[in-house]
Amino acid sequence: MSIIGLLPHLVNGVALGLLFALLALGFMLILGLMEQINLAHGSLFALGAYFAYAIATPRLPLPPDLLQAWAAAPLGWRFAAAVFVAPVLVAPFGVVLERLMRRTYGRDPLYGLLLTFGAAMVIEELIRIVWGTRDYMLPVPRGISGGFLMLDLVWSTYRFWAAGFAVIAMAVVWLVIERTRFGALVKAGAHDSEIVQALGHDLEKLRVGVFVLGTMMAAVAGVILAPVWGIRPHMGVDAVIPAFVIIVLGGVGSFWGAVLGGLLVGMVVGLAGAYASEWSMLSMYLLLILVVTFRSRGLFGKKSVLEA
Amino acid sequence: MALFEAHELHLRFGDRVVLEDISLSFEVGRLSGIMGPNGAGKTTCFNVLTGRYRPDRGRVVFDGADITGRSPQAISRLGIARSFQLMNLFDEFTAFENVAIALPETRRRGADPIGQAYRDSALVGEAHEILVNVGLGDRAGQIAKSLPYGERRALEIAVALASRPKLLFLDEPTAGLGSDGRARLADLVRKLKGAVTLVVIEHDMEFLFSLADVISVIHWGQVIAQGSPADLRANPWVRNSNLGKLA
Amino acid sequence: MRSGHTVPTLTPVMIAVWAAFATVPLWIEHVGLYQYLGVEVLIFATYALAYNLVLGHSGLPSFGHGAFFGLGAYGFGLAQLNLVPDLWFCLGAAVATASAGGTLVAAFISHRRGIYYSLLTIAFGQVFWFIAIKWHTVTGGEDGLLKIERLPVQLGVATVDLSHNVSLFYFVLAIFVVVSLLLWRLVHSPFGRILRAIKQNETRARFVGYDVWRYKAAVLILSAGLSGLAGGLFAMAQASAFPDVMSLHYSGYIVMMTLVGGGLVTFWGPVLGAIVFLLARDVIGAFTTGWMLWFGMLFVALVIYKPEGLGGMFLRPARTKRPEAT
Repeated sequence: MSIIGLLPHLVNGVALGLLFALLALGFMLILGLMEQINLAHGSLFALGAYFAYAIATPRLPLPPDLLQAWAAAPLGWRFAAAVFVAPVLVAPFGVVLERLMRRTYGRDPLYGLLLTFGAAMVIEELIRIVWGTRDYMLPVPRGISGGFLMLDLVWSTYRFWAAGFAVIAMAVVWLVIERTRFGALVKAGAHDSEIVQALGHDLEKLRVGVFVLGTMMAAVAGVILAPVWGIRPHMGVDAVIPAFVIIVLGGVGSFWGAVLGGLLVGMVVGLAGAYASEWSMLSMYLLLILVVTFRSRGLFGKKSVLEA
Repeated sequence: MALFEAHELHLRFGDRVVLEDISLSFEVGRLSGIMGPNGAGKTTCFNVLTGRYRPDRGRVVFDGADITGRSPQAISRLGIARSFQLMNLFDEFTAFENVAIALPETRRRGADPIGQAYRDSALVGEAHEILVNVGLGDRAGQIAKSLPYGERRALEIAVALASRPKLLFLDEPTAGLGSDGRARLADLVRKLKGAVTLVVIEHDMEFLFSLADVISVIHWGQVIAQGSPADLRANPWVRNSNLGKLA
Repeated sequence: MRSGHTVPTLTPVMIAVWAAFATVPLWIEHVGLYQYLGVEVLIFATYALAYNLVLGHSGLPSFGHGAFFGLGAYGFGLAQLNLVPDLWFCLGAAVATASAGGTLVAAFISHRRGIYYSLLTIAFGQVFWFIAIKWHTVTGGEDGLLKIERLPVQLGVATVDLSHNVSLFYFVLAIFVVVSLLLWRLVHSPFGRILRAIKQNETRARFVGYDVWRYKAAVLILSAGLSGLAGGLFAMAQASAFPDVMSLHYSGYIVMMTLVGGGLVTFWGPVLGAIVFLLARDVIGAFTTGWMLWFGMLFVALVIYKPEGLGGMFLRPARTKRPEAT
């Protein structure tokens, strides 16, 4: 295949990679500070997508008049509302989850992994009960949907927008971590929770804060990815696995490791798709196994709780 | 004859030189001591000698064979055992099983998935004998985790002895013990002396000076003095440092 | 284990468990359940015991065991459809296929422990699951491998037909008896005690001369092979093999069963867990849709408050130790 022939796969791979990176970053935030593997990350991601669907279509438990008025609003508004409101609606789930996990702090991290696996099963079942097992599609406003022609190829407009949203969301997270007091505390706590306490800060509140941030990132990723992947009950499990693959690949505890890991996975999946589209997702696992066999802590990893 | 020799060992972690040009030799049947202040590189040196770390340069020779960079399990099978400064037991096993699991007979039968692990009366007898030797004869059935500190220290040595070593390294065996415990441990080490070649890291001077045949002093990753306890008492280096208070 | 004492090959609990199972076909229909459930429980109990060899006994938290169960199911089905339709041969094929998969995985992960071990087993589990879905020509893709038959048992002098669920139940029970007996011997053998030692303190095990990774690899392969045996029985019971059993969900279910039953602290815990899990599925499922909602919450509560699982509650307090580094 020529370079030009590969180009769309590569571009799509980069776009996919940015979305993966966003998905992985929230997962890593919780792993980095809390030293907890949150297997329910994907379920929070799925909840984000379902809430967005409820807001945008709209299918909300509101009084009929209000619902009608909202339904009459332009799709652009409804979509924008979904992007901002859905993560806020998902945040309480993160708070509850953090509350449940407290008992496992300081124990073998395996217990956190098991607990969140159970939580993932519960959330997935909740989704089935509320929304059923059918697939949904999140409608995308006309301005950012459809396709366009470039270099004699048809490109999906929304994918570019989605990649752009992902970059913005990641930039916001970067600013929060690097430029705010909260971020400084989070980073200090990641290395030494005693320092945070010695400085007189409430570690419990900080942990809730981190969990909520991670949860909202999962939900934002869910909203942005919903038009690309579709909405279905097991999308959570489908999403959490790439997230952890990226973290292990990029190395635990590194912001840029997660971003580069995401891009790498996106490009490998995209390029593999050029040759064997059926098998493209498999390339991700093979990449992981290959990298981790030779570099046991991933590309940028430091010693971490994973080695306990 | 030197049973064990280390030639010009170098090791650095990142940009920090931890061991610089360390050469040591331990004679058969002797008790050799290694002393030095905290952070001098004693334990790191031990870790290199017993295969936990690989030196950047230098050679380690045991019984005429070059064992530099071999794995801990390979070195252990050649007849070198060690105890740990921080307690390192099989916490949920009984004292008996801690010793029994480390016996060469158990290892030899390691691929047997059907037979009873501790049916052989010779094996059971040997494990009990080792426990009696270290003063834990009546503790065989107790879970290691539930033993008092001093007895865990003794069990640490019992586990090391179980592999029937030709050479036994003890890493700060008195760490955390009170004076009674130290006295009891000194008796134990005196008893082992002669039966097995011993190398003991310690910073309890009294303990080491009363037991060792020869002592090497390590400071800043180097051997700064070497000799019998009597020689060291006379050594100005040792006298002038706070190490020499005893001398 | 008491010092120097040997452990009896047959214990009262063991005989009670076997005897209790043997009575199941006599009453199961009278309590509103059905014969096939008994078959399913025994298959999953066998699988859970095999899995617990890795998780509870050796402290290796595999999260991709569904792959081995599934490999066994496909191995059984493919051997029957393409090679020789003989029960013993096909079960052998199930064990061999799963052991081969276990060997491949073990080669990559046996120097790992803890969460990295879990993550890498998830990755390998996904690889096998993905291949099962996509390799249509061999595995039948998402529809799975159909038309697997319940082959008769050839005993030389006699032949037993297994097409009825009751006869299949007793056949699976016979296999369960053999597997549980072998595993009971294994955990008290030198190999088993060494695994226990490695679980508690890998570093020390190395310093007393053990090639730790060999033991970790061997136990994974063994556990994979026995999981494959259970998978082969499952393919026969279901008359099909499908990729679902290899998914992360199913790999998680076996972890759930094992932990809920108390596999971390007792030998028979996983069996109890399999019973509780499948009963909960049918009983809660009869009253509400979404039984996993309730079972998932029970599981979360157990992880938080009682990680020793239900089996831990039956033990005398002195013996319930908090598991470390499992």
